[in-house]
Amino acid sequence: MSEKVKVTIDGITIDVDPGTSILNAARQIGGDIVPPAMCYYSKLEGSGGKCRTCLVKVSKGSEKDPRPMPKLVASCRTGVMDGMEVQNITSPEVIEARKGVVEILLINHPLDCPVCDQAGECHLQDLSYEHGVANTRYEFERRTFERIDIGDKIQLHMTRCILCYRCVYVADQLTDGRQHGILGRGDASEISTYIEKAIDNDFSGNVIDVCPVGALTDRTFRFKNRVWFTKPVDAHRDCPTCKGKVTLWYKGEEVLRVTGRKDQFGEVEDFICNTCRFETKNTSDWVIEGPRQIAHTSVISANHYEMLPLPVIKQNQALIEANKIEFDRASKI
Amino acid sequence: MRKENNLSHLISHISNLVKMARKLLLEHINVPGINTLDVYRQHGGYRSVEKALKTMSPDAIVEEVKTSGLRGRGGAGFPTGMKWSFLAKPEGKERYLVCNADESEPGTFKDRYLMTYIPHALIEGMIVSSFALGARTSYIYVRGEMMPQIRILEKAIAEAKNAGFLGKNILGTGYDLELYVQPGGGAYICGEETALIESLEGKRGNPRIKPPFPAISGVWACPTVVNNVETIAAVVPIINDGGEEYAKIGIGRSTGTKLISASGNLNKPGVYEIDLGVPVEEFIYSDEYCGGIANGKRLKAVVAGGSSVPILPANLSLKTVNGESRLMSYESLSDGGFQSGSMLGSGGFIAFDEDQCIVRNTWNFARFYHHESCGQCSPCREGTGWMEKVLHRLEYGHGKMSDIDLLVDVARKIEGNTICPLGDAAAWPVASAIRHFRDEFEWHVTNPKEAMDRNYGLAKYADPLPKLEEVSQ
Ligand SMILES: Cc1cc2nc3c(=O)[nH]c(=O)nc-3n(C[C@H](O)[C@H](O)[C@H](O)COP(=O)(O)O)c2cc1C
Ligand code: SF4
Ligand code: SF4
Ligand code: FES
Repeated sequence: MSEKVKVTIDGITIDVDPGTSILNAARQIGGDIVPPAMCYYSKLEGSGGKCRTCLVKVSKGSEKDPRPMPKLVASCRTGVMDGMEVQNITSPEVIEARKGVVEILLINHPLDCPVCDQAGECHLQDLSYEHGVANTRYEFERRTFERIDIGDKIQLHMTRCILCYRCVYVADQLTDGRQHGILGRGDASEISTYIEKAIDNDFSGNVIDVCPVGALTDRTFRFKNRVWFTKPVDAHRDCPTCKGKVTLWYKGEEVLRVTGRKDQFGEVEDFICNTCRFETKNTSDWVIEGPRQIAHTSVISANHYEMLPLPVIKQNQALIEANKIEFDRASKI
Repeated sequence: MRKENNLSHLISHISNLVKMARKLLLEHINVPGINTLDVYRQHGGYRSVEKALKTMSPDAIVEEVKTSGLRGRGGAGFPTGMKWSFLAKPEGKERYLVCNADESEPGTFKDRYLMTYIPHALIEGMIVSSFALGARTSYIYVRGEMMPQIRILEKAIAEAKNAGFLGKNILGTGYDLELYVQPGGGAYICGEETALIESLEGKRGNPRIKPPFPAISGVWACPTVVNNVETIAAVVPIINDGGEEYAKIGIGRSTGTKLISASGNLNKPGVYEIDLGVPVEEFIYSDEYCGGIANGKRLKAVVAGGSSVPILPANLSLKTVNGESRLMSYESLSDGGFQSGSMLGSGGFIAFDEDQCIVRNTWNFARFYHHESCGQCSPCREGTGWMEKVLHRLEYGHGKMSDIDLLVDVARKIEGNTICPLGDAAAWPVASAIRHFRDEFEWHVTNPKEAMDRNYGLAKYADPLPKLEEVSQ
């Protein structure tokens, strides 16, 4: 391995391997200075650069060439240089631009969170909560599409799609023999029906896990429950096709759905096969490892039996009790 | 009508005579049969191939192009010689030259003209340029709608091949070159060089994220140069007469001649070959060029370099804020930056007379960019549509005063935050139209009924130059 390079993000310096992106360097530091990423997915080659939520300012290019970069750059697709200095949350320009991107991502989004299966684990929801403005300046009819069932397991609700291309890369990189899945151009683009052909593949279900919004959802889970009333448990089994390492989402004794194990950045640790995802829903099929740690910013953890350290809840005894009661109630239904 | 002072008229007349003798690309455009190899050769065609392949080294050609000061004619104006010298030359990897003939920018139609009438000028330039870059396969990526031009080029290539200018062992020099015409994907975005490369490879024409630049990894992940039709055609006179001769034409760092596609309310719209540095005023009003504004009207605004560049009101089109005469050159047209300048761009010169509606035109451009956005990155995909809808509302009498600032704000959110320059190209026309013609937008809001029946007219745009402070607000 060649020499490490030094990069400073929002005043915090870290040594990383050459070729690391700014985003991944920030993830190594962790915390608030990690730019939000809606399209980049470390396990999908070529992803990133599209949503523009991860924009940062490079105030110093490198030790050799200290000039700042003229424009904000997509941190997910810009490599670090030795001596580079980056501003993310310390730059008002970045915050302003990101706010703009969020506003723009939302203008054609249906905002149907109350009936959306992704609610609670939607990255767009988190993002707009953190960076958005309360009301929209967009006064035109929003773009809508018909819902499409892609096979009997997956539903595509194109209206909610933010065209991050992640599912396209999944279909391209995990399943055989297809090119890409976007038809049309500009704001009339849509995920193409060619994806239907990919559905036969063992790994097609992963498009659900990578989708940052509720555009691709699990039909075997649809409307069964709100995610925050389910409890995630890590489990594994001996699977001939994939590693068989999954998260089971329980309500009471029943496994409502099976997903890959998502890390703190919302990325699955391993892609899982369709048999594990859709057809193995009995506890007896699995070796249970223990409760899944969910990032505490997610609403899922709000009803988590393990009481993740949400500041208010942790300090307020009444809330802790209320939460327990709510959880018990939910898991009995 | 504008009154010419006699002396300046005379001077411009004489200088025009000199210029006429110096047309480099279009000199023989009116010769019957110039589209055939035989007639083209009778008029000096393919001399540069003989000279380059038989007497020059590839590096010497690159040097000659550097000396000429030639800058890319596709829009960005990047020095061609420098671009060529950046081309990576790893062992065991092919290199490619791709000619960008996707010409789709509203207001630009010079490449089509050149390819239709003197296709061999492009083929000749391709051979010399490919030799200089060490490419053994080259492509001409032609806009899909230009079927006739595709046939013309294919015929010309067949002729050149028959005569030994293409194929194996060209003119006995041992140099091999295959030249292919590729019909385009039918989208404006396929003119962006990395989208073009994707499309050429048979994929959806989405721009790539740079770096890596095509010079390192382009077609089939091999080092690639993408150049505009006119850029490549200009290599022919540079090799024939030498880079130094070429550099004598023009002004400052804008050397040589440039094809201008003139359209709009002009007496004589069309494609003109000018020496870079001709005053805008002369270009519009002299009989050598556009012959003034049609129907005796007055000039209201100019878009000097194709729909993507900022629009300028008449006064700022003819003079810079400092009161200097505005010239048709890269530097002079961009003098004043975005506050009071524009760009030469691809040379799509659109003149608007006093009867034209700026709001309508801005909406029309916005509609184009909305339609042509590839949709990859969020600010451009969603922002172009948003601007288009707001402009539509303004134009059709339902606008609000706050819409004007909203447009400025959306344009700012797109500009600089996208993968490729189409986002900027969509934002600039809107931002500049509001900067220079805000009162006309406001009038559309305050007088919606009237705005549907008549145009705002000239307002103050033919007035003397604004003060520097006024413009830079
Ligand atoms: C949206 C967009 C469209 C473009 N269309 C064209 C085009 O039609 N023809 C062209 O020559 N260059 C076009 N360009 C510029 C090319 O990306 C590239 O800069 C050019 O082909 C380089 O050639 P040159 O150096 O000879 O100018 C376009 C750029 C953008 C961003
Ligand atoms: S469906 Fe989901 S994963 Fe696919 S492009 Fe849309 S938002 Fe991204
Ligand atoms: S700026 Fe527009 S055209 Fe260019 S890549 Fe982004 S969406 Fe596509
Ligand atoms: S995560 Fe970087 S642009 Fe989307």
